[in-house]
Amino acid sequence: MYNLTTRRILLPTTRQSSSITEDDSPVEMENPFKKERRQCILCKHNITPDYKNYRLLSQFQSPYTGRIYGRHITGLCKKKQELVETEIKKAQNCAYMPYFYKDKMFLKDPKLFDPENPVRSHRF
Amino acid sequence: MPTYELALILRAMPKQDLKTTLTRVSHAIFSRGGIIRNIENLGFRALPYKTSAHGLVHREANFFVFKIDTATKAVADLKEEYSRDVDIVRQRMFKTQTDCEHSCTLEEEMLPPAYREEVQKMIEIGKTQVDRFKYKFKYNSGLDYYPFQK
Repeated sequence: MYNLTTRRILLPTTRQSSSITEDDSPVEMENPFKKERRQCILCKHNITPDYKNYRLLSQFQSPYTGRIYGRHITGLCKKKQELVETEIKKAQNCAYMPYFYKDKMFLKDPKLFDPENPVRSHRF
Repeated sequence: MPTYELALILRAMPKQDLKTTLTRVSHAIFSRGGIIRNIENLGFRALPYKTSAHGLVHREANFFVFKIDTATKAVADLKEEYSRDVDIVRQRMFKTQTDCEHSCTLEEEMLPPAYREEVQKMIEIGKTQVDRFKYKFKYNSGLDYYPFQK
């Protein structure tokens, strides 16, 4: 008997507290600390590399050897890197771009990436 | 009719001769039922490497790009005709690019190897293969001798 009475008294108080906690309860929301989705530089500016735009393509070429920098250096996504490589080869074949050096007109162009700090380590 | 791009390199010559060669080049396209959409002049500049064509060494040249619509069968014929042209140093024919929708996959590529889809696929394939480091020859194979070098 004693137990029953105590329960009756306790019930309304617990209900009141629950209504208060409902207002204060955590809100369903997206992770506010979620990082922004990274994009490669060509996708960000929506550029498709073209063999006629050899000035842009020469930025992906080593100034010392004329070789095309790899994906771990350029930081491009797979598709764009593949496109850049094919377009550079086309441009070189069309005699728009040299094979073994970078055109000295373009040597002072802004750097899109740092070859000294690749994403993954060099094999050299 | 698919669209093509003709990257032409003409030898250094006076403007009047250039005009006649350009008309000659374009008439070759017209005679095969093609049309020219656009002609771009990329200017007269030094070649990135010296090129020899028709017994002459060229270090400077005129650069042109023709955008043409022509039958696919005519392309080889055009190429053959231009290869015989003395004024043309180099000619390349490309199909024009078609823009396709592409979303950047850099985020997925930058994940640690275990989370990358291609690596997971490789692991799956590896599981189906015989592991040559762990494989041990079973002596109950019916042979009474060890068939490999010890």
